[in-house]
Amino acid sequence: MSSRRQVRGDRSRGPAAGFLTWNRRVQLTGLGLTLPALVFAFALMVYPVANVVFLSFHQYSPLRSAQTTDAGISNYAWLAASDIVRHSIGVTVVFTVVSVAIEMGVGLVLATLLAKLVVESRQLFGRVLSRALLSCFIVPFAAPPIAGAIAWKMLLHPQFGPVDAILRSDIAWFSQFPLASVIAADAWKTTPFVLFLLFAAILSIDPDQYEAARLDGANGWQEFRFLTLPSIMPVLAVVAAFRAVDAFTKIFDVVFVTTGGGPGNDTQVFPLLIWRTAFDFLNFGQASALAVVAVLVSAALGAALLAVRRLSPA
Amino acid sequence: MPILWMVIGSLKTETELFSSPLALPAAPAWANYASLFQQFHFGIATLNSVEISLGVVVISVLLGGMAAYGFSRYPFRGSRLLLSGLLITRMVTPAALVVPLYLIMNALGLLNNVISIILGVGVLNLPLVVWILRPFFDALPREVEEAGLLDGLSPFGVFWRIAVPLAAPGLLTVALLSFIAAWTDLLFPISFSTTVDATPLTAQLLQMQTGYKIYWGSLMAGGIYLTLPTLVVSFALQKYLVRGMRLGY
Repeated sequence: MSSRRQVRGDRSRGPAAGFLTWNRRVQLTGLGLTLPALVFAFALMVYPVANVVFLSFHQYSPLRSAQTTDAGISNYAWLAASDIVRHSIGVTVVFTVVSVAIEMGVGLVLATLLAKLVVESRQLFGRVLSRALLSCFIVPFAAPPIAGAIAWKMLLHPQFGPVDAILRSDIAWFSQFPLASVIAADAWKTTPFVLFLLFAAILSIDPDQYEAARLDGANGWQEFRFLTLPSIMPVLAVVAAFRAVDAFTKIFDVVFVTTGGGPGNDTQVFPLLIWRTAFDFLNFGQASALAVVAVLVSAALGAALLAVRRLSPA
Repeated sequence: MPILWMVIGSLKTETELFSSPLALPAAPAWANYASLFQQFHFGIATLNSVEISLGVVVISVLLGGMAAYGFSRYPFRGSRLLLSGLLITRMVTPAALVVPLYLIMNALGLLNNVISIILGVGVLNLPLVVWILRPFFDALPREVEEAGLLDGLSPFGVFWRIAVPLAAPGLLTVALLSFIAAWTDLLFPISFSTTVDATPLTAQLLQMQTGYKIYWGSLMAGGIYLTLPTLVVSFALQKYLVRGMRLGY
């Protein structure tokens, strides 16, 4: 902040104070640099959202008629009364809570173990091993969600999936335990993200503190419970909040490819419900009402996340 | 690891796949990979995926980089509010945005055209780019830029000649994340394109799951084909990817 003020102070003597005052020129440069992105975002983000609000009060079904007709609040009335919508929100909440809990749990355990391996092994072997393991976790993160989904569909296939072959069973996982299977596939994909962030957080703890804990006679669990965990708590909170928002608003590909929302509506998460209402049932009015709800929820969650992030020193 | 299993599966013939789930293939069945190009239009789909990825990377890095620098160094009235607004849009449910964007693209006659997919993925990716790059520009030493100003560079010249080269690692990180986002996106292709000519690999993969038959061999081969570029790039630029994760949340 102070340096910025200092720069501004110098500007009256700046080299280009010719035909425009320096302050004016700075403002124009700021605007000029940000304007393209803002116009782009406005045209393809703000305007569409305004459009979706408009449509949510209308009926528009391109198959039946090219006209939009006024529908008042009927789309919202449908939304409030629909069991499908309520069910979908329930599924999404369950999905978000369970999958974030699994990711955080597994991510925390793996990060702790890997960090221990890095810190405590003085030999080259341990370091190389932990680096190699970390690299392996890049795969799920970088792989396309759709490819991961296909891989899981095959892993859990009742006839030729290795899981059933090993268990000597013929469970059709994605139809008999659809939500659990979807959660497994999603957790596989997203746990590495949590792992990498927590791993970095643990490594940034001052090693002297561990030294001190050991001198005080702390065992492994106590070290984790009273030193590691409190130290990374801020990061843990932000990562969990971020993942929760992300899981809630962006879950689509995995479900679309594996179960398509079924069987019945068992895995019809909210983003999928919006998409199918628009593109399968071609009811853009109802889809818009759903989209408005989704935008409001995601804006609220986004604002909350920005606030959490600002509060925590992560 | 599921992906590894998919590699194995992609090299089995269909009979092998069903008769001996746990066995390795007797001889690699490259036919699955050949079928991608012969039966499922992977040649043109690859081209489309490349075009979409390039388009998104260019838009993201150019617009996002400029905006991030502008927000970082040249705050103007209302810029903080605009920045917060832009960052919050990062959380918008993509499926909600797809509905009105579809109608806009339809009105513009851009459906079944990779441009519509580029614009859609690009606008959803932009907030992330600004999110990552602004702190990055914030952290660059101001003294160098001030020296540039005193040496007679215009503010834009300072951005282009000094800030951009200094921020190259950040820009590379952002380009990498944008590439992965565009290459792997499924939502916009399945919404905006119904013709082979404008369908990238992700959506083309779904063509192998028809109502009455799933081409498992091709599906796995296609999955591997789709995954390989992202893995190669990610391993080559692992350092930047991990940095991106750390900055991106």
